Amino acid sequence: MIGLLMAAVRESIQTTKSVFSGAFRQSQIESTLFDRLVLYGCVGLTLFFVLFPFYWMVVTSIIPSTELYRLPPAVIPTEFTFDHFREIMDAQVPFYIYFFNSFVVAVISSAMAVGISIFGAYSFARLEYPGRAFMVRGVLLSYMIAGILMVVPIFQIVVWLGLVDTLTSVVLTHFIFTIPLGLYLLGNYFRSIPKEIEEAGLIDGYSRVEVLLRITIPMSVPAIVAVFLYSFLLSWNEYLYASIFLNTQELYTLPIGIEFLQFEFDDVWGEIMAASMLTTIPVVIMFLYLEKYMMAGLSFGSMD
Amino acid sequence: MSVISQTKQRYDNLTIKQKEVYLGYALILPSVLLVAITLVYPLLYNFYLSFTEVPLTPAESPEWIGLENYMTLISDPDFLVALRNTFIFTLFSDIGATVIGLGVALLFTKEFFGRRLARGVVLLPYIAPLIASAFVWQWIWDPTYGVGQFFFADLLGLYDSGTDLRNSLTMVIVFESWRYFPFAFLLILARLQSIPDELYEAAKVDGASRWARFRDITLPELKYVIATVFLIRWIWNFNVFADVWLFTRDVPVLGVFVYQTGFNQFEQGIAAATSMIMLVFLMLFVAIYVTWVIEW
Repeated sequence: MIGLLMAAVRESIQTTKSVFSGAFRQSQIESTLFDRLVLYGCVGLTLFFVLFPFYWMVVTSIIPSTELYRLPPAVIPTEFTFDHFREIMDAQVPFYIYFFNSFVVAVISSAMAVGISIFGAYSFARLEYPGRAFMVRGVLLSYMIAGILMVVPIFQIVVWLGLVDTLTSVVLTHFIFTIPLGLYLLGNYFRSIPKEIEEAGLIDGYSRVEVLLRITIPMSVPAIVAVFLYSFLLSWNEYLYASIFLNTQELYTLPIGIEFLQFEFDDVWGEIMAASMLTTIPVVIMFLYLEKYMMAGLSFGSMD
Repeated sequence: MSVISQTKQRYDNLTIKQKEVYLGYALILPSVLLVAITLVYPLLYNFYLSFTEVPLTPAESPEWIGLENYMTLISDPDFLVALRNTFIFTLFSDIGATVIGLGVALLFTKEFFGRRLARGVVLLPYIAPLIASAFVWQWIWDPTYGVGQFFFADLLGLYDSGTDLRNSLTMVIVFESWRYFPFAFLLILARLQSIPDELYEAAKVDGASRWARFRDITLPELKYVIATVFLIRWIWNFNVFADVWLFTRDVPVLGVFVYQTGFNQFEQGIAAATSMIMLVFLMLFVAIYVTWVIEW
């Protein structure tokens, strides 16, 4: 059963890799004017469906509250203001604190996940030893186990460790939750590197560890970046564990911080949308610049 | 001879094959240990906790109460509602995301102006942070000033003004389909692009209608990828928590039920039992799905 699931996931990642590299296949079937109209109509509708919420987020964050709470809504805004941004920055706990917390948590947990899964993945991909297949399957089984299924025991463990209300507990959970993905994506990538290159290194007198450090890792930068980005996104988004571990407002990460804004302001939508926009922008910038690296992670199936 | 140099001596005497084995274990050990400690151990511990009453102070140890938590759950109408909601939510948001993803992917096999850019744009709902998407959807469907409410209720009169659609399971399903259809789109488009054009042209020459070409060429080629998308989305929809919780507090699914029982009412034993039931249902579904529903 796990083997089949594994095959499914692998297949999905491999087919997706091809989409974003290379041009579209040119359709040779000619079409009538009516067909073109229908086509552009559908494309327009799709883009509207996708983009409108983001458009509305931007508009809400830059128009004054008087424009916000009126009917009909100001779909095409005429007055602009940065008040909402100013207010979240001047709040009792300024918004950039959450931003900073999230950034620190995401960078540290992703770096740790990448660091540890490089070695594990190499072991899975290239070295042979009894019990390997069993361990590979075990790690993939964890794909089915979402955070919510273990929230009680993990909370108990964190309490027992005395780590409640620390960013350490959040870093550790994010770190560990992304290891299986790292092992999986990197393992597949390492397997795609021709064995001969590594064997040449071994013949030249490198040890296995040297081969890994000097040949395999430099050749796998795209996959390493992909795993880092994916863990970063997971951590940036993660709500459940951060919300049960953290009590002090100064320690909040973005998702909880934004949720908390609701209780801090009246008529809060301007502020919340300003905060949401600031949270979305880094992700979109990352996507614009590193699109091809992100595909492998995106086709893994979950963004929680 | 010191212990270290003895060990080194012994290591040097090993054959290359043996060295590889040791190195293999050494490299995988940290990952496997961490995953075991944090996935396997919590699962087992969760299994144990589900038979106990978990005290509020960590100093006391959990008290064994046998099947009581499970009994409480079966007779708890809130749990049954959450169970029902979860199945409806999982099924329909899975179908929603897959069908929209399929439709949009088919659209992108045609040529149109700005297609390359549009392809990236379509992924936005999927990559945007959940918190931002959930809140903007809440705001759009705000029963007083929401723009969606204004357009669909006040202007078009499709439903009564002032109704809070956000509390309905339907709206949560729409939101989740919106957020995850790009995943289906991504995988299906990849597969679509690998179907040779010649197949379609030959069918066209033979006089096959548009629908016939879709049914007899496209669908069979897509069977595998659609089945995969459906399975993967099923797993994640079934385990849903934050997507629903941040969008509305009024649609309890099992994930929300676990969170509320465990961390608002601090009935962690019952929460653990709920997690166990979720896990069993999930495993059962995946087993049935990969064995009988699809032949890989």
